[in-house]
Amino acid sequence: MVAADFEKILTLFEEARVEFVVIGGVAMVAHGSAQATFDLDLCYRRSQENIERLCLALAPYHPALRNAPKNLPFRFDGSTVKNDLNFTLSTDLGDLDLLGEVAGLGFYEEVVEFSQTGEVSGKQCRILSLEGLIRAKRAAGRPRDLAALPELEALIELREKLAEN
Amino acid sequence: MSPQTRARAIELITNPPPGSKLAAAKEYGVDLTLLVENLELSVTERIRKLSSVATFLEKMREAGRKLR
Repeated sequence: MVAADFEKILTLFEEARVEFVVIGGVAMVAHGSAQATFDLDLCYRRSQENIERLCLALAPYHPALRNAPKNLPFRFDGSTVKNDLNFTLSTDLGDLDLLGEVAGLGFYEEVVEFSQTGEVSGKQCRILSLEGLIRAKRAAGRPRDLAALPELEALIELREKLAEN
Repeated sequence: MSPQTRARAIELITNPPPGSKLAAAKEYGVDLTLLVENLELSVTERIRKLSSVATFLEKMREAGRKLR
């Protein structure tokens, strides 16, 4: 049983100067959604320096491929990350999905344009905006993604109407 | 959230304007009261609450697996 310490992962990466944007269910919750999720989804910048920082920060927490056979050799290092794009990991801090590209948005450089800054435990994190989340969910197009749209659209409207006052 | 903003939020979710996204979400089954509750929290508090819920749900999932 692994605890889902999303806050710890985010502050860990911020302290290590990893460039990332929080996407998926945790980004939805950061905006006020009532959805529950078991994993943290991040879009990371695929520069060599950023990949090295990411691997170094995560190494003490034993990243392993989730749902892969225990005897499958796997080493989470710069070379592994550079040679692939998306990783579904289990770590001592909880499940972590690292995405190099997000459907409907693109790579980190495009995703960050749809993000805004939010404070998590005193650190400034880039979080995908509600508009970005809607775009990504529409592009993903799975029933569970489309099911999230009414809540996300309601959050935008609620935010706008409350800002009018 | 100020008391006035909260009152306005409650009014909006209790009687969402016809044809609005809030009305559509309510019709879809979204519990709008939870959204207002979450908007009263900081981002850090929302993420802490999620971690706590996810950890609890994971324990329940594990208990369920043992029942099978």
